[in-house]
Amino acid sequence: MNDNNGYAVRTDKLTRRFGSFTAVDAIDLAVKPGEIFGFLGANGAGKTTAIRMLCGLLAPTEGEAWVDGLPISSKAEEVKRHIGYMSQKFSLYNDLHVIENLEFYGGVYGLDKAEIRSRSTELLARVGLEDKGRTMTVDLSLGYKQRLALGCSVIHRPNILFLDEPTSGVDPIARRQFWDLIYELADQGTTVFVTTHYMDEAEYCSRVSIMVAGHIEAMGAPEELKTKHDVPDMQQLFITLVNR
Amino acid sequence: MKAIFYLVQKEFRQIFRDHMMVRIIFLLPLLQLFIFGYAVNNDLKDVRISILDQDNSVESRHLADAFLNSSLFIPGPAAHSPADLDDLIYKGKTDITLWIPNDYSSSLSVGQEAQVGIAVDGKNSNLGGRAGGYAMAIIRQEGQRLRDARMLDNPLLRAKMKEIKTATRFFYNPELVSRTYMVPGIVVLVVTIISGLLTGMAVVRENEIGTLEQLMVTPITSLQLIAGKTIPFMILAFFELAFATVVAVLWFKIPIAGSLWLLTGSSLVYLVVTLGSGILASTVSRTQQQAMFTVWFFLVFGILMSGFFYPIENMPMAMQWLTYLNPLRYFLSIVRGLFLKGITLSDSLPDLIPMALLGIIIFGAAILRFRKTVA
Ligand SMILES: Nc1ncnc2c1ncn2[C@@H]1O[C@H](COP(=O)(O)OP(=O)(O)O)[C@@H](O)[C@H]1O
Ligand SMILES: [Mg+2]
Repeated sequence: MNDNNGYAVRTDKLTRRFGSFTAVDAIDLAVKPGEIFGFLGANGAGKTTAIRMLCGLLAPTEGEAWVDGLPISSKAEEVKRHIGYMSQKFSLYNDLHVIENLEFYGGVYGLDKAEIRSRSTELLARVGLEDKGRTMTVDLSLGYKQRLALGCSVIHRPNILFLDEPTSGVDPIARRQFWDLIYELADQGTTVFVTTHYMDEAEYCSRVSIMVAGHIEAMGAPEELKTKHDVPDMQQLFITLVNR
Repeated sequence: MKAIFYLVQKEFRQIFRDHMMVRIIFLLPLLQLFIFGYAVNNDLKDVRISILDQDNSVESRHLADAFLNSSLFIPGPAAHSPADLDDLIYKGKTDITLWIPNDYSSSLSVGQEAQVGIAVDGKNSNLGGRAGGYAMAIIRQEGQRLRDARMLDNPLLRAKMKEIKTATRFFYNPELVSRTYMVPGIVVLVVTIISGLLTGMAVVRENEIGTLEQLMVTPITSLQLIAGKTIPFMILAFFELAFATVVAVLWFKIPIAGSLWLLTGSSLVYLVVTLGSGILASTVSRTQQQAMFTVWFFLVFGILMSGFFYPIENMPMAMQWLTYLNPLRYFLSIVRGLFLKGITLSDSLPDLIPMALLGIIIFGAAILRFRKTVA
């Protein structure tokens, strides 16, 4: 298992079936620490299912994965302390103040009182909500909600951050701002594992994998993949792979 | 441990920011207490009696006075014939009638048995039965007096009683259970609703908005999560218990004969049942409406089968057996016993033990199912 220690995330034939339907089919991934890893695929490709297995929310049917060197089959509880997760329907309490959401997740992750204070204020500023701490979360725009959700998922300084379609539904400017935050986190050494179906976002990633119907069809740095398949951009690469 | 504190704090913030919740918590118990508390009759008193004395003798007046001097009866409208008497009952103008025929004193004077007629309004069997029983006791006393006065062995007075069935029946409270009996029951109801219904809904709400999944990727355990969901509603339920009890005692003037410690302790045991049921309901419900419906469904059954409205002894045998599975039955019996009879801990054990067993089973099942569904 020593070969897993070098990786932030590694999977070995990770598989999940729902009845006779195979949502994730024996995928092999290797994500290096500090990478921004783009987990691409169309709707229904199996991205969420794979991410939920990596976060310990769903048991694999077959195969194994190691997150921060820990096997998810036996160390799922320990894995939770190492990761942050922002789910597809990012989950905030609409009836709490912005700052209360941050403080709540800080408390749930077991930070002490002073730490919760300082970390919440710091993150509030980081995601650009410093003057909105006492705003009711329900009143935030979608873009702000997504940034707050990101703040909540990193309150405990996880080594690896899983983001499931974090930018779906917002305008290009809000998306760009969100990616700036992702870069900042990566600069500080956080591994970011992000799913998206926006192919322009794929260009921002250090490496990507492209998933089609439960299979990984390609994996590598965007430039490398474009050269290899002789396509001008990720959009084209994606279409080529899906139609193959 | 610290995580539980933050879960509870968050829950309270959400509860008090939700106007609907605040209304359920503060208004619902008051409404229930006042609607049910005033819908029910008082204890037996001021029963109207119409007397037709066709004998009009010293003896007959003595009998009539025995009725009118009792604390229970007050004079109802007068009648001029036996048919009049029945008519008064049919029209609801009187509750009970006494007919003393014109041969009353003459029968007594020749040592024969005298007969009088009593008719009670059968509209509600509880009032009718109790008033009728009271009337018969007065007759017996009068018979005893007559016998003693003449040093005879055999009774001289006998009454024939009939029940007149009038049509009306009360929908909500057919037995016209008295207020002292009803209000402690409402205390039980209020505690049940707050703890069972709101817990289930609070869990499902997190599932609906997706925060439950978010919580599952944090290091908190499912037991901590259950604690975080149940503790706030346990605290609220105790608040409601205290509130409803204070209203019962101060407003409805229903004294608590038993110990407050036993009330608190048995409530805690009962809350294990209701909080567990709430969690259990949340594991089979995808939406808050479903959870509400599930809890409500069992709640209605629980209430009907608890003796809240309808005495368990009057149910068919099979139903009576079923009520042994109903935790509400036990808690209702304890709370009524505490208020009305002042039962002690040892008196309450026959109810407390099965209730605790049900609590362990239900809460245990809730934990298992919760673990399975969320993890
Ligand atoms: N709990 C489930 N039960 C049955 N099928 C599921 C379940 N979750 C996901 N699926 C199916 O698995 C496939 C992949 O879904 P998902 O992982 O959500 O895809 P993506 O996130 O890439 O859009 C879809 O066809 C979806 O319907
Ligand atoms: Mg998805």
